[in-house]
Amino acid sequence: MVGNPDNRRVAFLRAAAARTGVLVRQVVPWRELAAGTVTLARRTLVRVDSPGEDAEVDRLLRGATAPARHGEIVGLRAWYRGLRAALTRLAEAADRADALLLSPPDDVLIMFDKGACHAHLAAAGVPVPPALPAPGGYAELRAAMRAAGWARVFVKPAHGSSASGVLALQVAQGRVRATTPVELAAGGALYNSLRVRTYTDERAIASIVDRLAADGLHVERWFPKAGLAGRVVDLRVLVVAGRATHVVVRSSRTPMTNLHLGNGRGDLAQLRTAAGERAYRSALDTACQAASCFPGSVQVAVDLMFGPGWARHAVAEVNAFGDLLPGVLSAQGRDTYTEQLVALRTFAPGVACAT
Amino acid sequence: MTINEHVTVFAGLPVAAFPSDEPTPDADAVAWRISGDWDTTIEEFGNLFETFLSTVDAAAVRALIIGDWGNSYETTAPIELVASAASRLPRLRALFLGEMTYEECEISWIKQGDVTAVLDAYPDLEIFRVRGAEGLRLSPVRHGALRELAFESGGLPGEVVRAVGECDLPALTHLELWLGTDEYGGDATVDDLAPILAGTRLPALTYLGIRDAEISDQVAAAIAAAPVVARLSTLDLSLGVLTDTGVIALLGGQPLVHLQRLDVHHHFLSAELAARLTSELGEAGVDVDVSDPQDPEGEDGHRYVAVAE
Repeated sequence: MVGNPDNRRVAFLRAAAARTGVLVRQVVPWRELAAGTVTLARRTLVRVDSPGEDAEVDRLLRGATAPARHGEIVGLRAWYRGLRAALTRLAEAADRADALLLSPPDDVLIMFDKGACHAHLAAAGVPVPPALPAPGGYAELRAAMRAAGWARVFVKPAHGSSASGVLALQVAQGRVRATTPVELAAGGALYNSLRVRTYTDERAIASIVDRLAADGLHVERWFPKAGLAGRVVDLRVLVVAGRATHVVVRSSRTPMTNLHLGNGRGDLAQLRTAAGERAYRSALDTACQAASCFPGSVQVAVDLMFGPGWARHAVAEVNAFGDLLPGVLSAQGRDTYTEQLVALRTFAPGVACAT
Repeated sequence: MTINEHVTVFAGLPVAAFPSDEPTPDADAVAWRISGDWDTTIEEFGNLFETFLSTVDAAAVRALIIGDWGNSYETTAPIELVASAASRLPRLRALFLGEMTYEECEISWIKQGDVTAVLDAYPDLEIFRVRGAEGLRLSPVRHGALRELAFESGGLPGEVVRAVGECDLPALTHLELWLGTDEYGGDATVDDLAPILAGTRLPALTYLGIRDAEISDQVAAAIAAAPVVARLSTLDLSLGVLTDTGVIALLGGQPLVHLQRLDVHHHFLSAELAARLTSELGEAGVDVDVSDPQDPEGEDGHRYVAVAE
């Protein structure tokens, strides 16, 4: 596997491997891959895990001289270029070793390019909120919103992960409001905070959007999410080898449902009752349909939103490394890592969905 | 806090969505929720409403919830549409206008209008609940049937509060005003509440909720001497910025032991005052709700009402 050796993701995978009798031949540190070429063990299956939560890997991928300050949102486009180069090297190494990557670089790269991912899903008929052309800055964003007649949008860094740099923006009656975990520091630097805050000062909002736009934005119409037990909810659905195996309800008091923002897991049984079994099944089908757009990936994690009346749903994100769901078990009682290792016994990379 | 989910029961009836894939219930067995979607236009909402009237047995409908009428932060509530349907909804007794979550449209941005037309058009209406107060207007009316009137808002205009005070509502048992904050147009003062607190035109009132109010302390002080309190069974000062100051005034005023319930949940009381309130009134048999305590010092020095956005 490729990962950050000290990260709990690697420990979880090792534990699952021990349980299932799978031999972990090699852990290739992301620091090595981010810095240069790597050599893979011959004729292996290669799990590609997240490069995240390691400041040095982040620095190497960005090609920067100094590591980012803690939480700073910086160099996302450079990071993406670095990711592309690293995954290309990994693909070459896999070719040389006759090894199979369980998350093909093309899939991962699409998933880390929100505009491309949105287009990829939309072309396959997966329900996604409509998007605007990527704006170059705040003024362009507002003009595009006016032209589309949209007053509420989600503004996302094209190459961000989780809620990093995301703004829920609404404009009406001469007012503007942005709800976001982004903290605008003196001097204009942007930081991810664990506290979702609200900006009503248009200059501050413009300054944040302009700064983020330099590294690419993806803007979607704000799809209103359903509520349950007083909170906004959506689903994280892990699809392993074509089956929706693990489902987590993410619930929040803010428009951002990402679990690291102090949000909690909701009650899945309660959600199924509220949504009705038909709507719930239909949503899981959509998650599988979204996953089928990445047929070479043994797993992808689909974030799926229900509308307020539960009848409609749409895909918010598809994540390449969204399988870190500690304590969540499949119907067979397996954690996400074990489930994937079991699936490998029969996994054959599928054919690409029609796009 | 924001409002994040829809009501599932209204006027004692389970809520049924229209349109829906589910089997259609009897028209009088449910509260019908008519709502557009995030991309509905007001014209489409009008068509949806007409479809509703001609699809279900409209003459039997008892309760109606109007949800999102489409771009509700820019488009005024379809008040005329609802008012003009009165002859086709002869048994309508309960109406909720603007039942939307934060995800659909935050409360302080919901565009309401002059809701007097609804009360004029439905003289038999018993329950009228309105969410959102942007552009909300009300003229003083006499309405003989209305039992429950509620304005939920993040900022209720003073002129609406004054208009409520000037209404003649002989049957009204439940009056609920979410005053909100002046940041969202909630400029009502305690003086605006005076006719309500006098209770002259509200002879049947048993529940008074002055909720979600930044001026909770002043309201509490006024209530301590308000004539209307004697006829209440429930006093609701929840969701607001109630501090020790307000509760000291409340406890120092007229006796409250006749109440069945005092609700101050989401408050900024010290533990001592919350305990005193519970013990003094609780021992007298009042059900006191002091749940959801907020930090008495507030957040960065600010104390916020529960629902503003």
